[in-house]
Amino acid sequence: MVGAHVLFLYSLLVAGVQASVLTLQSPRLTISASDATQLRSEPLSLTHKPTPPPTLGSTDVLKLTFQVVDEEGKGVQPHQTFLRFYDPVSGEEGVQPVKVTAGGKAKFDLNMARPPASLPPTTENPLKVSLYIGSFVHDPMQFELFDLVVPPSQPPAQHPDEASFHVRPEIVHTFRPEQKVPPKFISAVFTLFLAAPWVVLLGLWAHIRPQVPHLFSPSILPFIATLGAFEALLVWYWVDLYLGQVLLYGAILSIPTALTGKRALAAVGDWRLGKSSK
Amino acid sequence: AYYETTSTRLKTIDAFLVFLMLSGIIQFLYCILITNFPFNAFLAGFASCVGQFVLAASLRSQVNPANRNEFKEVSPERAFAEFALSSIVLHFFVYNFLG
Repeated sequence: MVGAHVLFLYSLLVAGVQASVLTLQSPRLTISASDATQLRSEPLSLTHKPTPPPTLGSTDVLKLTFQVVDEEGKGVQPHQTFLRFYDPVSGEEGVQPVKVTAGGKAKFDLNMARPPASLPPTTENPLKVSLYIGSFVHDPMQFELFDLVVPPSQPPAQHPDEASFHVRPEIVHTFRPEQKVPPKFISAVFTLFLAAPWVVLLGLWAHIRPQVPHLFSPSILPFIATLGAFEALLVWYWVDLYLGQVLLYGAILSIPTALTGKRALAAVGDWRLGKSSK
Repeated sequence: AYYETTSTRLKTIDAFLVFLMLSGIIQFLYCILITNFPFNAFLAGFASCVGQFVLAASLRSQVNPANRNEFKEVSPERAFAEFALSSIVLHFFVYNFLG
């Protein structure tokens, strides 16, 4: 079983080796005008290109004929036969499949009055015309046939995304002018203005003379002290602390504040109601 | 009539309210006339005046003996405790915004 497979592969290899190289037999190039007068007709050489390069006018017809044969001279119909028109300067190219008969005979017509879709956009530069042959059972072949000069066509349409492959114009932003702090003198004047309400407050309080009879008694003072400590903690937060720290310290400080507050306000309540002895 | 009939405590709180009002007005005038930059500082200062005014006014109405019927469940001491606590919270937010 294995032996049969090996024999099969070997026979394929032998068959491949035997007839693996293709070549073109009697390739011929003909250029005729639109009224069928022959302008140029010559056989093509596979090793050097014809000089001068064939030139087509806008109504001329180019005809290319050849036969694909293997090493024994037998005609072969390869699986793929393509003609490639390539402009090396602009990089445009077009590929045209060529019909090959079972006997290997091929014929290709290029009528400039009705050019095929495979003809690429052309410029003044000549197109390189080459033949590509692909086959499952033979080695692939490529033949540089000739340089073709055709009338220049319209330039190819620009791709809609073309602009994004080149450097774009620089974006210029216009920003609002920076906000400025007003002159220091005006700030100082208004800070003095803000001292005025303090003067009013202290004046009124001096006039009213509110009484704080028990301010320094041991039940009231701790509460006042803890309230002052809370305010100091907030100022410290404004200057230095982080949020997590101030919340932690505030939570810790709230415990004595609550305790002293309860005591202080209970005492005040008792005084108000006339109950306590203190 | 106000001066005679109002107790000293209430007059103290009233003086504080007047002070807060003047303070707020001056800050607002500065914002309109000169500049509102930095805006967060103006908002913090102005909000501290307004907020403290609101808290002090509610304290005053709660401790006023004439309003005893309105605030049966709230003793003056409790009103003061609420005033102190909410003032601290207000100051915390003001300092946060002051920057």
